[in-house]
Amino acid sequence: MPGHLYILVSLALFFIGTTGVLMRRNALFVLMSLELQLAAGSLALLAFSRGLGDQRGHVVAFFVMALAAAEAAIGLGIVVSIYRLRAKIDLATIDELRN
Amino acid sequence: MNLAHVAPTLLEKIAFFVLAAGALGGALVTITRKSAVAALIALIGTLCATAGLYATLSAHFLAVLQVLVYAGAIMVLFIFAAMMVSHDEEHPIALRGLFLRTAGVLSIGYLFYRIAWLVVRERTIDVLAAASTPPIPDFGNVASIGRLLFSDFLFPFEAISLLLLAAVVGGVVLARPPRTRNDGGAT
Repeated sequence: MPGHLYILVSLALFFIGTTGVLMRRNALFVLMSLELQLAAGSLALLAFSRGLGDQRGHVVAFFVMALAAAEAAIGLGIVVSIYRLRAKIDLATIDELRN
Repeated sequence: MNLAHVAPTLLEKIAFFVLAAGALGGALVTITRKSAVAALIALIGTLCATAGLYATLSAHFLAVLQVLVYAGAIMVLFIFAAMMVSHDEEHPIALRGLFLRTAGVLSIGYLFYRIAWLVVRERTIDVLAAASTPPIPDFGNVASIGRLLFSDFLFPFEAISLLLLAAVVGGVVLARPPRTRNDGGAT
């Protein structure tokens, strides 16, 4: 398939992820939208990697996957500990670090 | 040898459009559900469809990793977290600062529309005209990616293993129940 279609899919996926990050108030959904954005970035990397015939994009996509695992572990740890504290994970009302 | 402009076969077209529609539809379902578990199932579908798209880009190793690591391991982590904090919300969209965030979404949408317009206009350049046949015979398989990982990218590879270790320890520390003041600090 022509590479520009992959870039268009990647752009749409990243836009959907951005909308989720900006609009949702539950931290769990914001983390899921972040995963969407990371998947969109990997898709663009692989499409350009294919277009250039250079496999280094694959290695970077591999690193993105490892970073996503680290981000999910830390992010979900924070979500669970905030839920323990407040029985709610509404991002609009979290101000623990201010007080 | 001009392999870069071979027309895609019908099967490739069908596979691409089914996978792209699955990825985008799953993403839309993910950000609109109220129930966390329903959103997670849609997200797993999106990630599996993205893995299919990777495979059509002859990134076989990354496609397998996407299913194993992303749709498998990371999503299991999410499902555990969703089970621990599960409660469905009445108002999924935050009202505070709604105007500013809507403006943000609209401006990002306009930016991406312009990028998409540019990509469609420049679709005939070599980078964007990917072929059906891979550029080199073992493009994207385990052997060639592994060779690259353990030669040019050896230092980032080892660094990311340390990062993962730190993240796992940090996750355990963060998610542990808060210790009370009078238990003698034994934990």
